Amino acid sequence: MRSSRIRFALLAVVAIMVGLFVLLPTSHQLRRQQLLLGTVVEIVAFGPDLDILEEAVSAAFSEIARIEHLMSPHIAESDVARLSAATEPFAVAPETAEVLALGLRVAKASRGGFDMTLGRLKQLWAIGSSAPHIPTPAEISVALTGVGPDALTLNGQIVTKKNSHLAVDLGAIAKGYAIDRAALLLRQRGIKHASVNAGGDIVLLGGKSSKERWLIGIQDPLEPDKTVAALKLADRAVVTSGDYERFFERNGVRYHHIFDPASGFPGRRSRSVTIVADSAALADALATAAFVLGPEAGLALLSDFPATEGLIIDPAGEFHLTPGMSTLLSWH
Amino acid sequence: MALKPLWRRMTVGDRLLVSGLILFCVFFLSLRSFRAAGVHLIVEQNNQVTYKLALDTDRVINLDGPLGPSNIVIEDGAVRFIASPCPNQVCIGMGCASKSGDLLACVPNRLLLRITGRSGRDLDYDLITR
Repeated sequence: MRSSRIRFALLAVVAIMVGLFVLLPTSHQLRRQQLLLGTVVEIVAFGPDLDILEEAVSAAFSEIARIEHLMSPHIAESDVARLSAATEPFAVAPETAEVLALGLRVAKASRGGFDMTLGRLKQLWAIGSSAPHIPTPAEISVALTGVGPDALTLNGQIVTKKNSHLAVDLGAIAKGYAIDRAALLLRQRGIKHASVNAGGDIVLLGGKSSKERWLIGIQDPLEPDKTVAALKLADRAVVTSGDYERFFERNGVRYHHIFDPASGFPGRRSRSVTIVADSAALADALATAAFVLGPEAGLALLSDFPATEGLIIDPAGEFHLTPGMSTLLSWH
Repeated sequence: MALKPLWRRMTVGDRLLVSGLILFCVFFLSLRSFRAAGVHLIVEQNNQVTYKLALDTDRVINLDGPLGPSNIVIEDGAVRFIASPCPNQVCIGMGCASKSGDLLACVPNRLLLRITGRSGRDLDYDLITR
């Protein structure tokens, strides 16, 4: 009698398990990569319908390419290239105006730590090219003439440069904006769980599933094969800026791509900065600003932006973080 | 333990059924926990797939990009860049890729190397912010 009850219970368990496997909706995963924004962009999306995933991910890549064509300084017909060449007030696309408005906000809050008018300085150093160059003080002085948080004025979509020779560079914000737009397109197509990763700048749509957040490692700036900590996140953006991303070395000195507008030289107050925010564009701009400002002023800047957390690793390898960041991190 | 008398009361069939269920669960959990070794190398140039190569055959491959030829080597189921005309040689510094989902890239020379597994699915979704 007992034995038949046990058998009945086991059969019921088996029936329930089989029923769950059959009835639960199957979630597909789509993972695609493209070379865009000067890096590898990877989109991972989950959903029950593979056709919808394919269409949504293709649309997201197209959107990133469209934003790149608006904001790359290397594309002659882009808004940024034409704005740099403009001698009169210049009308930009609504998306470019949105990025400029956010950038000006961060530029003012950081008192120039973040600067979108360093185009000439970046051209001068040519970091990432086959012939990087350490400029003379005189060359730097010329390249920095007229730059700063007040060098651009935005009125609707009309941009006015204080000095006509200023070259605009949105490299420290446009990548974040492009992946924000890609995530928006995925969301508009009903995708609830996805990640958009542009060379380590990441936007997350929902969690990895409805029950699990994404686990994100933060690269160790001293040992790039390792991570220093992990973040568990959903529906957030995370961006890291470090001195190991693009650089050249001469006579044992590393010259990297994040410039301090005050000196015209690569910033020396930080090794890496990781920012968690609601948008990748904001996280991107704040990561650069906090890198340049260093731990003390960088953390003070982050306190001006609600729902934004940060980790700054200084040149000695010490960690400085906002109170909220400690609740997001798990250490190795 | 309360399970001991229960196990004793079961018939051979019941025990086989329970053991089978446990093995079934362990198998599916292990599928979720491990990232599969790669089977194929997919080479993309200018966002177009140009090669699909098995990782089980050692060889050196020459890939032409806009900057010139890059050389990659497949050895012991892993692939790596060994020569590149790009200025910073970041691609060579990336080391080996061997697991399903691994990526190597030479952005200046427009080359993307992607490893795929047997099933085409990769259930380890961790990301790195760098």
